[in-house]
Amino acid sequence: MRIPILKLGRYLLISVQVELDDQTALQFQEDLLNKIHQEGSLGVVIDLTSVDMIDSFIAKVIGDVVEMSSLMGAKVVLTGIQPAVAITLIDMGVSLQEVQTALDLEQGLERLQQELGG
Amino acid sequence: MSNHSCIEIANEWGIVSARQAGRELSKEIGFGSVDQARITTAISELARNIYLYTEIGKIDLEEISDNHKNGKVRGIKVVASDKGPGIENLRDVMIDGFTTSGGLGAGLPGVKRLMDEFDIESIPGEGTTITTIKWLR
Amino acid sequence: MRSIVLQHMIDNKDHYIEQWRVSFGELLFSRSESTIKPQYIQDEMKEEFVSVIFDTLTMDRHSRRAVVKRFAERLIHDGWVVSEFIMSLQRLRRIVMKDLSNHYDKEKFVDLSGELEDWLDEQITDLTTEFAKNHEEVKAIQNVALKELSAPLIPVFDKIVVMPLIGTIDTKRASQIMENLLDGIIEHRAQVVLIDITGVPLVDTMVAHHIIRASEAVRLVGAECLLVGIRPEIAQTIVNLGIDLGNFTTKSTLKKGVEAALQMTHRDIITNEEPVTGGGLN
Repeated sequence: MRIPILKLGRYLLISVQVELDDQTALQFQEDLLNKIHQEGSLGVVIDLTSVDMIDSFIAKVIGDVVEMSSLMGAKVVLTGIQPAVAITLIDMGVSLQEVQTALDLEQGLERLQQELGG
Repeated sequence: MSNHSCIEIANEWGIVSARQAGRELSKEIGFGSVDQARITTAISELARNIYLYTEIGKIDLEEISDNHKNGKVRGIKVVASDKGPGIENLRDVMIDGFTTSGGLGAGLPGVKRLMDEFDIESIPGEGTTITTIKWLR
Repeated sequence: MRSIVLQHMIDNKDHYIEQWRVSFGELLFSRSESTIKPQYIQDEMKEEFVSVIFDTLTMDRHSRRAVVKRFAERLIHDGWVVSEFIMSLQRLRRIVMKDLSNHYDKEKFVDLSGELEDWLDEQITDLTTEFAKNHEEVKAIQNVALKELSAPLIPVFDKIVVMPLIGTIDTKRASQIMENLLDGIIEHRAQVVLIDITGVPLVDTMVAHHIIRASEAVRLVGAECLLVGIRPEIAQTIVNLGIDLGNFTTKSTLKKGVEAALQMTHRDIITNEEPVTGGGLN
């Protein structure tokens, strides 16, 4: 299963709509990095509104993908993390300190625009 | 009338089906969305441990009830058991950040924090059984 | 079939009531909130208790229980302390025991005292069960009340909400607050949350831990937390306890917090040159 990655100007948009199993998550990591390389994207918004569970493995994959993207010059904003998912992550002691967040896709894009100067 | 299901964890898909079964059962028992996420995540961690460290194991999910001072309390019991190598040093695996797999090291201590009761039994060379319970408040 | 002891007590009812009344002497029946009740009310209650205990001797277990239950309900309703009733039952035991040992030989006495214990246990169990049940009910109601009271989320400006915390924060309340907070952020599409701790009497490591967790969760759902209303003594305890709020933006007052929040959402407070009637932002 592959997660579709949409291109919007200099940005990439990803809305995760499937239950994240390990393989899909890793495949996504690879696809995203290739796409950033290919398009020279400056910003990425990953929308997690439909994700109802993030365990420590998925959290690690997401944290890694953010770090790797930033190495390649693309800022990542995570959006739409559900309250229940956020509380569970905090319970587990996973706070994703380095990751930028926003409420939803719209605010995520705004945030990128502000940081990248329009 | 016990509500019971057992999922074999032989591959990655086992992890997904275990947590789906967990979400369904916890919803049925009447847990709120936050506790559903906690239970599902704990199951995912336990199932992943089985998948990563042992050939085969299983997750047992069961609805339970107990007489509490306010009357009957319902809960979900999750038992993860495997016939793997066992855990040499139980103390180490319960430390935050301890990892042998390159993960976040939040696995078992995380599960303990997500659930209400946590018990681990392991015999090196024979296998590990982890029993956890979440009560409906 | 009625036990010999109960029959014995029925036969000697007047004698026992008299003795029991005497033994009440120094026992103070009281209510939980007001320590001591007027003497006549105490006496009334003692008489009622006596008649409940002795009238029910002739009843079967089922109807006896119903009477005790009704009595217990009344006690709870009027706020009596249960321990004194139980103590007085224990005195009754002593009286009856002593009497039995005078009337019967040793072997018979052992049997009978067993019967007496059973009967007394039954009374005590019924009384305390009712009390405990009622306490739980009261507690449950109070919990609901507390929940309703705890931590409302107030939208003050577009994208800015305030959550005033009032009272002591324990783990249970903390998780309730966290859920309210996160759901409210989504509902109001808030970017900044001001957590006002002016009304929190004490910030120890536990409370600080809950606040830090809440702010991390807030960040994960995509908003930011500002901690406001930090009184001087709170600032002192925070530093003395070595609590690290380094990742936190903190402000001393809600007013300063709101100003900071407006700035964070790229808005300014402007004073109009013409005086505005009806008040402006400043």
